[in-house]
Amino acid sequence: MRSDNRSARIQVLVAEQAARRGARVGVVDVCTAAVAALPVGGAGLSAMSRSAASHPLCSTDDVSEQLEELQLTLGEGPCVDAFTQGSAVLTSDLLAAEVQDRWAVFADAALEAGARAVYAFPLQMGAISPGVLDLYSQVPGRLDAEELADALAFADTATLVLLDSRIDGAGDLAGGRSADGRYEDLGAYRAEIDQATGMLTAQLGVGAEEAFVRLRAYSYARGRRLAAVAADVVAHRLTFPPSADTDRTDDEA
Amino acid sequence: MNQRLLAKTFVELADNLVADFDLIDFLRLLTDRCVGMLGASAAGVLLADRDGELRVMAASDEQVRLLELFQLQNDEGPCLDCFRTGAPVIVANLSGEADRWPRFVAAAHRSGFGAVQALPMRLRDEVVGALNLFHAAPGPFDPDATPLAQALADVATISLLQQRTAHRSTVLNEQLQSALNSRVLIEQAKGKLAERRGIDMEQAFTTLRGYARAHNRRLSDLARAFIDDSEALPGLRS
Repeated sequence: MRSDNRSARIQVLVAEQAARRGARVGVVDVCTAAVAALPVGGAGLSAMSRSAASHPLCSTDDVSEQLEELQLTLGEGPCVDAFTQGSAVLTSDLLAAEVQDRWAVFADAALEAGARAVYAFPLQMGAISPGVLDLYSQVPGRLDAEELADALAFADTATLVLLDSRIDGAGDLAGGRSADGRYEDLGAYRAEIDQATGMLTAQLGVGAEEAFVRLRAYSYARGRRLAAVAADVVAHRLTFPPSADTDRTDDEA
Repeated sequence: MNQRLLAKTFVELADNLVADFDLIDFLRLLTDRCVGMLGASAAGVLLADRDGELRVMAASDEQVRLLELFQLQNDEGPCLDCFRTGAPVIVANLSGEADRWPRFVAAAHRSGFGAVQALPMRLRDEVVGALNLFHAAPGPFDPDATPLAQALADVATISLLQQRTAHRSTVLNEQLQSALNSRVLIEQAKGKLAERRGIDMEQAFTTLRGYARAHNRRLSDLARAFIDDSEALPGLRS
């Protein structure tokens, strides 16, 4: 497994922001690190859901805060579209005619708030899509290929940070995350992680997001690698009973 | 080489590259035809993610063991060499390559493969992935088969371009990310159906694909509806 990859580098940047705050890694650190690394004025992140109300989680400045609130209030904008379509929505100039047509109210309100370009990235892992990362710039323009790849990596890190914050007793995390705050690379053998997540939705009678959180919680609690726990689930060596308490998970092996 | 089968395969692939096609469903069809037409024992399409890590997009068999064999090549193997150099890697007898790729050769033998081909997927000057063919028996390949395999790798690349047009995505990076996310979605749906029905991952995949076709749905859309429990999906729920 390569350690010099983009995801690893981005995760270090995020961990540095958390260390500077003297706190555990949170989504605000992803936003701060993204602003430091990319040619953008600010970043904001909202929790989104198809079944429950969406709400802003953090923002790095006033403009970002307004952009998040505007979109959730108006129900339109790049963030809303990124969530619905499941793909990044890159708006290089809010003054462009097609943008004005697409988000009649949002476009003008965002310009008034001080944004000129908005890039929205869905946080997603298959059917799991807990939110959207929004970046804005005061000047029109595009992210180049490298910057875009970095932004996508920031969004992936935000996904893991956000999902991990839902683990009960997350303050005592051990195992899966290394000392410098890096997350286990999900790339290699990730098919099994995804299959195990799907299997747990059936075993536990929960949605994909909850299933993944339970899988992570189990691997943290046992100090085991997520990929190894997932392999045990896929091979039926490990079954999660449909109860609320992960500690009661039975090892069959 | 059977000329009629060849013509039929390319017509079928072209017919499936319609506006609203599903990328993963299409690439599975392509890997199936690599097996049927080129006499391969197994085939897989791998795409590089933004870290340059190769990830399986489609395989002629969805069992974990085969997916792992493809994935293993992020450390060593013909697919990685092909991806790095942008040139085909053709190995008629894997036994002779144990020094070059010790772990890959051992794993391939364990899975019953004796020969391998890896063909680059090129998009202009960029290598975006590779088509990987495994053969059970070692021995020289049919000289006509390699250009055909490369043609199929090119069709796989074209399907990426086609999807990009359909999604109006202007940025390769972002589009590959979406494609990889569709694959994650399919894996999650496979896991759910396999667990619910007590079937294996390949059976789960073919059931999902069959259902999508019978109901004229895109495979990814069906997978999402199934995972999210957002639709009744009679026949799949029980």
